[in-house]
Order: sequence, then C-alpha cells, then structure tokens
Amino acid sequence: MLLITGCGVAADAPATPTPAGVARSATPTAIPAPTPGATGAPAGPAASGVPLTDASLGAHPAEPVVQPARVQVPSLGIDVTVAPEGVDATGALALPDDPAIASWYRFGPTPWSTAGTAVIAAHVDSFDYGVGQFALLLDAPVGTEIVITSVDGRVARFTVREVSMTDKTGVDWNTVFDRSGPHLLALVTCGGEFDYETGHYLSNVIVTAVPIA
Amino acid sequence: MRKTLIAGIAAGAFIAAAAALPASAAEGDAQLSVLHAVPGVTVDVYVNGALTLDDFTPGTLAGPLPLPAGTYSVAITAFDAADAGAPVIGPVDLTLAANGNYTAVAHLDASGKPTATLFTNDTATLAAGEGRLTVRHVAAAPAVDVLAAGSPVITNLANPGESVLTLPAGTVSASVAATGTTAPVIGPADVDVAEGTNTIVYAWGSLADGNLALAVQTIGGLHSNPGGVPAGNAGLVATNQPADSTGLLVGGALALLLAALAITAVRSRALAKVER
Repeated sequence: MLLITGCGVAADAPATPTPAGVARSATPTAIPAPTPGATGAPAGPAASGVPLTDASLGAHPAEPVVQPARVQVPSLGIDVTVAPEGVDATGALALPDDPAIASWYRFGPTPWSTAGTAVIAAHVDSFDYGVGQFALLLDAPVGTEIVITSVDGRVARFTVREVSMTDKTGVDWNTVFDRSGPHLLALVTCGGEFDYETGHYLSNVIVTAVPIA
Repeated sequence: MRKTLIAGIAAGAFIAAAAALPASAAEGDAQLSVLHAVPGVTVDVYVNGALTLDDFTPGTLAGPLPLPAGTYSVAITAFDAADAGAPVIGPVDLTLAANGNYTAVAHLDASGKPTATLFTNDTATLAAGEGRLTVRHVAAAPAVDVLAAGSPVITNLANPGESVLTLPAGTVSASVAATGTTAPVIGPADVDVAEGTNTIVYAWGSLADGNLALAVQTIGGLHSNPGGVPAGNAGLVATNQPADSTGLLVGGALALLLAALAITAVRSRALAKVER
C-alpha cells in the first residue's frame, strides 16, 4: 500500500520508453464492471513512494545549459569557435559551412554534463574555405589535451583516449550521441577516401576523449 | 486515446480490495500519473481501497507510479473523509495495459461537474530534433482553439478531448481561445516543446469562475539521434585520387603517343619504299 503524506518535488517524469505499439482508438470504450475484490476495509497510511510535482506552467524552468564556445587542441594548434546546432533536413548533425566554426549537438550533453557524450564536429574541408583545422585530429596521439571554453568562461579539459576512422555506414551513431553513459567528449569530422561523384568522404574520424578531473 | 469514466457525484458501492499496491517497478508495468485539475478542493485518492494520495491539492501531478497491468478502482474523496465510502468522484475503474503510459485526470466537465478521465500518453519515439505537444481540454468551458504565435494549430477541441502535434523542438507562444476566435482566454504563455519529450498541456479550471489555467506534464526519453555527421565536401584531404580522371589522362596521352608513332612508322616505310 502506498500513501503520499507530503510533497516531494520530482524532476520531470521520464517514461520508460515503450515500443510503438500502444493502441489508440478514437472512440471511448465502455466502462467495464468493477473488479470484484476481497472483503475487508484496507488499513490507512503506508510508506510514501509516489512523487508529487507542482504542474503549474512555469513551475519547473529548464536548467540553464553550460554551452561550449571554443575548442582548442594546443599541441596541434587547433582553435575553433563552437555554435549550438540541431539536425539538418536529412536528420544529420547540422554544421556551419566554415570549418573554423564547429558544431555542438545542442540536444545532447554538454562538455560540463555529468553523463553522456558531448559531440562537437567541424568540416575537414570545404570548397569555399579550404582545409579545416579538424584535419589535424587524425594524427592526434593518445593523451593529447583538449580544452573547451564555455560561453560564460568556464573551462573543461579532456585527454584523447582513441582516434578512429570508420566507414560512415559502420558508425553506430546511437553510441556516438550517447546521453546517459560515462561522460565523454567526441570530436567528429570526415576523412579517408572521397567519393568524387557525390562529393562526400566515405569515413568519419572520431576522437574520443575522457574528462580530466 | 481517452476513456471517459463515471461523471459527477457517484453513489456507487465502495469497492474494497485487499490487493496491496507494489512499491517498485517491474518489467511490463504500466505507468500511471494522476493530475488534480478540480479547482478549490483538496482531496484524498484511494486506489483499490487503499489511501494512495493524501491531501492532494489542485494543480498537482502525482507519479509516475508503476503498476502491473490490470484494472484498478479509484475513488476521490474530500481530504478529511474517513474512508472512500462517499467519494466526490468515482469509484471508477482504470484499465491499464502492460507498458502503457497513462494520466488519470480529476477535472470539471464542460458544464462544471467534477469527473475523471483516463488519457493514454503517446510515448512513441520522435525523429531527431523534434518534440511532441499534447493538448488536453479538461476545463469547464466550451470548445477551444489553441493558437501558436497567434495562429490556430488546433481547432474545435472540446472537453475531455486531446490533440497531439509533432513540432521542431523550441518554445511556442501558446494561447487558448473560444473556438473560432482569437482573443485568449488562457495565455499567451511560453510553452517549451522540448526535444525528445512529450509535453502535455492541460487547460483546466472554470471559465465561469475566472480561474482557467494551464498545467504541464512532461515525458522524456523519446528522442532519436542524428543519423550522421557530414563534415567535408572538397576532397582536399582524400586518401584516394580521382581514379577515373587520372585513367583518362594517362590513357589519352598514351593513345596520342601511339598514334604519333604509327604516323611516323607509316611515313618511314613510305620513304623507304620511295627510296628503293
């Protein structure tokens, strides 16, 4: 038995993601007969367990997000600004045209989150701007330091754990854009062979970095 | 989907059940939240005869409470009632399917009588960058339109109905107006349609009593991730050369060279013939 005796403020209630199969019908179904139950009046209060939330609009403003503004890899001479981005019309991460402006996936973790991977990407090259600074990432040694500065001047530091070049069709994007596992930073760009017919690289270069305490 | 339950003050027999409510979630459980949207009354909520929500105040959302799939009898009483013998709403049966996500709302019907409605919450996965906006009319008021930045996005929504929209994630300046009009009876107010989230907005209260308001419930974890990172288009750091154009270049030059040699050979033979 459960009893709520006081107010507990819960975070916005996350649902267990359900498979798409919850049936919906437009017409209300008939009220079924009451479930026959055992006799005997129940006892009163029991241990509390159900969260209570003030549901007024505006009662729970979204927590301010610490937003990255700059990525530097001092040992490689990389120094780019960062813009928050969503998805483009094809559902891929949107990127500014200029390789000197990196894209941070704004719906995922930030470099200051306590869990999940903050994803920052930039063009390896572009017709209008030439070769980009992220082209240098492919040769970054393990242990290379990465410095992220936020819009309000905070600094987060990471060290490179792994640099991989993977065929684009083989990248598990749900792992790259993970939101709930260990806190990591991923720097992503393109590389490898180029398809001259379509104008796209065939591989992604992904640098995985772990936070420095 | 919504399921309309017994409306008004019901004198139904008190349904007692000895079944205890579980305290922890299990695989296949349904999720039930309860919204108190009847203005001005603090209530107690009984589920299967057990006092479950004590001194539950208007505008409060309880849950989510994981429950095994099944049918639960719910009675809502005055806050100082000794038991569920004379409920203000119910007793009503809520049938919850395995893995379903529901909100039971205690609210006023269109004519102002207290009632309860069970809504099913849409937890289908959203495309990357999108949010879901669900609007539910549970107010003592006629049918309404819902306007976003002054333009109707939902029309002729009546109590106890709902409408579900999929939108790019972002903030919507929303207002509620009598259907066919644009003068707000609620709002305008900023509603954050968060990415990967079902943002459920309830219009509740009473038009006649001047206490119409918006309540919000959110269900997250419905997001999709980007499907790629297209980060290069000039081929300047490619590890391969353009094979086709190189081949043509080489082949073309070779052909020209061979043709030139052939012409020279023909001329030489011709000269040789002439010289003899």
